[in-house]
Amino acid sequence: MKLLFVLRQTFNNLWRERTPVTATILTIFIALSILIALFEVSWILYNQLHDLKKNMVVEIYLKTSISESGTARVRSMLEDQNTFDRIRYISKDAAADIFQEEFGEDINEILDENPLPPSFEIRLKPEFNHPDYMSILKKQLEEMPEVEEVHYRHSLIDKLENITEAVVVTGIFVLIILVFAMNLLIRNTIKLSVYARKRQIMVMKILGSGSLLIRMPFILEGAVEGLIGGILSASGLIIAHRFIASTFTMVNFPPRIYQILWINTISLGIVLGLLASAYSAGRFINKIHSKK
Amino acid sequence: MIQFSHVTVNYGYVPGALKDINLQLRDGDFTLILGPTGSGKSTLLRLIYMDILPSSGIVTVGKWTSYRITPRQINLLRRNIGVVFQDFKLIDNLSVFDNVALPLIIEGYRRKYIRRLVHTLLDEVSLLQSSEQRASTLSLGEKQRVAIARAMSKDPFIVIADEPTGNLDREASKNVLSLLERIHKNGTSVLMATHDYELIKDTPYKRIYMENGQLLPPDRTINIGKQKIRLLTQEE
Repeated sequence: MKLLFVLRQTFNNLWRERTPVTATILTIFIALSILIALFEVSWILYNQLHDLKKNMVVEIYLKTSISESGTARVRSMLEDQNTFDRIRYISKDAAADIFQEEFGEDINEILDENPLPPSFEIRLKPEFNHPDYMSILKKQLEEMPEVEEVHYRHSLIDKLENITEAVVVTGIFVLIILVFAMNLLIRNTIKLSVYARKRQIMVMKILGSGSLLIRMPFILEGAVEGLIGGILSASGLIIAHRFIASTFTMVNFPPRIYQILWINTISLGIVLGLLASAYSAGRFINKIHSKK
Repeated sequence: MIQFSHVTVNYGYVPGALKDINLQLRDGDFTLILGPTGSGKSTLLRLIYMDILPSSGIVTVGKWTSYRITPRQINLLRRNIGVVFQDFKLIDNLSVFDNVALPLIIEGYRRKYIRRLVHTLLDEVSLLQSSEQRASTLSLGEKQRVAIARAMSKDPFIVIADEPTGNLDREASKNVLSLLERIHKNGTSVLMATHDYELIKDTPYKRIYMENGQLLPPDRTINIGKQKIRLLTQEE
């Protein structure tokens, strides 16, 4: 009977305050959609960056006239660094084979000689995969007389890192504003409900009701607003994903993305709704008691 | 038993809403508190259901004592007291049935038990036919009868009635008094505050007189509204 009473009160409140309730649900819907979308973009960028860094190869081109002892000196210098996962030496002949594999032509036949320099291909350990270390290493290597040039895709990584950082910072900023707005609207709706039922709250107190029974309809009100906002947001995001997946074929979303979106968005909506309403209900109900 | 020992109540900067009250109310009594508006009758009653706590002194209600009562214990105390107000304090958007059932819902009783008990109580106050009506649609007299049924639903050891006839016409007032008398005859204590001396002048119940936050000694004449009243001794 208690549960039935609480549920009836909750839905009566929602219906009675339907205009602010609708505004709150719409805010939750917008806030959650932006929040989840920003999170997803950050996640994708972060993963791309991680993969790029993990697979990044530094190519050290040696002088074509290098002697065997010169090659050994560069190798020993690299091994002494102890910052690489893998060091691979590519001789002039091996470079010509790779050229043929990639372009289908024998370079010796085209130019009557092999101009490709020997090189080392190294893969850094993840903890050293940082642009600052890269530039130090590049400088250090290029100072060696045996080294012609050092190549790595630093500009792409730098760019991606800057974008990721900007998205994360913007995301946090937007998140703070949206959570604040959402909290403000939920608080306002609960405040209106509490004041509309001021008399009932006072009567229930006089009849000896515990504070949980008085607060519960208001707390559930916030949870229902969060649930509806979450459902709308999850539906919107799923539609957007379907559209992106069908329009841009190169975009691959992770498997089970729809279940993940559905569960996470709705749970987040409910939790945010619950927290904001629990806080507001306690605060405004206590105010009513003290004004008695 | 209810006991007041040297109880004083000050409201904020207004001192002396009640001044050094010493009073003892026995179980099973029907007690009337008489006095003009602002004499402290409602304050005295609010102390019993601990809506306010004394500024000094001690109020003891059964096993509960004001100086060491917790909010949780106040809730328990209130579940054992029935309170009837001048303005009824019904929840207008709930039905008559739900208003009477509210204390039982708060206590967590089962639906079947609540339905049976509420129907019995509404039958006793002759409002069974109106059980599904909204409280806001009732007449003032009917509202007060619903409030009495609600007070009785908890099977309280005492019913406190704070000016229960203050908004009612003569006929409805008599009905309310007779309902409270029936409750008393069934063994429940009743404590009723009123300034309607005409209504209670022929009743045989114990009387307490209040003026300016103090209990008055009997055997003197006071003004209550437009009436001059000779105070009776408590057992008269």
